[in-house]
Amino acid sequence: MIYDIIIIGAGPAGLTAAIYACRRELKTLIISKDLGGQIAKAPDVRNFPGFEEISGAELTQKMMDQAQKLGAEVVFEGIKSVTKEGKNFEVQASAGKYKGKALILAYGKTPRSLGVDGEEKFAGKGVSYCATCDMPVFRNKTVAILGGGNSALDAAIYGSKIAKQIYIIHRRDEFRADEIELKNAKKAKNIEFVLNSIPKEIKGDKFVKSLIIEDVNTKKTRDIPVDGIFVEIGYEVKTDIVAHLVKLDELKQIIIDNTCSTSQPGIFAAGDITNTPMKQSIVAAGEGAKAALSAYHYLQGSKPTVMVDWGKKT
Amino acid sequence: MSCMAKKVKIYSTPYCTYCKLAKNFFTKNSVAFTEVDVSEDEKELNSMVKKSGQMGVPVIEIDDKVIVGYNEAKIKKLLGLK
Repeated sequence: MIYDIIIIGAGPAGLTAAIYACRRELKTLIISKDLGGQIAKAPDVRNFPGFEEISGAELTQKMMDQAQKLGAEVVFEGIKSVTKEGKNFEVQASAGKYKGKALILAYGKTPRSLGVDGEEKFAGKGVSYCATCDMPVFRNKTVAILGGGNSALDAAIYGSKIAKQIYIIHRRDEFRADEIELKNAKKAKNIEFVLNSIPKEIKGDKFVKSLIIEDVNTKKTRDIPVDGIFVEIGYEVKTDIVAHLVKLDELKQIIIDNTCSTSQPGIFAAGDITNTPMKQSIVAAGEGAKAALSAYHYLQGSKPTVMVDWGKKT
Repeated sequence: MSCMAKKVKIYSTPYCTYCKLAKNFFTKNSVAFTEVDVSEDEKELNSMVKKSGQMGVPVIEIDDKVIVGYNEAKIKKLLGLK
């Protein structure tokens, strides 16, 4: 079977693309490793028009429900490779192989990993990339948070109410977080700041037991006993699997034009994965709509025209 | 309806998206399940860690089989759903 459109990613960009594609009666498949991506971790979103306050998980669940009601199919799988086969595209995912006539790349950014020994071995066994999801599991335990931005400080403040002891480990001597976050973190009695330090190794048996860090100035190492390690060092675009198909910029983001077309006919892109500098859910959703409409025109062999599309379909 | 007889339990935390996905899946397929919030119940948390050998949520128990994470294909197989 060949889908009209395969959308990779199920955040605001991919899900909006799916809604628009389905309303054009295109046979649509969404492939994603999760629902929501980065925004799913946000406990409250206050800048998505139409919702004064909503959790990111709930917002993307609503988008997903809407897409599925309109006929979008969804599989939760990771992507191994994307290839061009004649005029079509083939996506090799972790469980299945899928064919589509057009492709929308909307899988955003992926949490950056530490790249130290023990990180992979202890993933899910004390090492976590989502404080809002996993912090509750560390009640009355000792936790290290790695990073120096708002998300690291947020995790620390949230964690200070749950865990017994928190260490914030940051490679610089100052934070690139909002002043208010820093003030709140400093107020908490059970948060210890460990600056100018980088992680070297994660140790344990079945679960994490300790984290070895190194002082960047003195090169002295310290072994901190911890039960949990939260990695909050930001996100990166991972476009290596499509680099042979579409043009990327110096940050490895996919270059798009104002119709969300890429350098490859039949491949469109939307949201945080693109070279659009504003990384916002509403911008991603808007680009998802543009990408789907551009894909529709590509499949029709026509140029984009203004067409009314709202309200109930008859 | 073979799935009706199976005992389904989900270990979750309040902000976990995959837990929400799993619960939605059960509701959509009319599968009865019990839920424990491991952030509130330390005894259940310890039992989850012991059973699954890891600390991430969700953990889903279908009769005596344990699934780590939200794996729709595995859930369907264990429930005998198509």
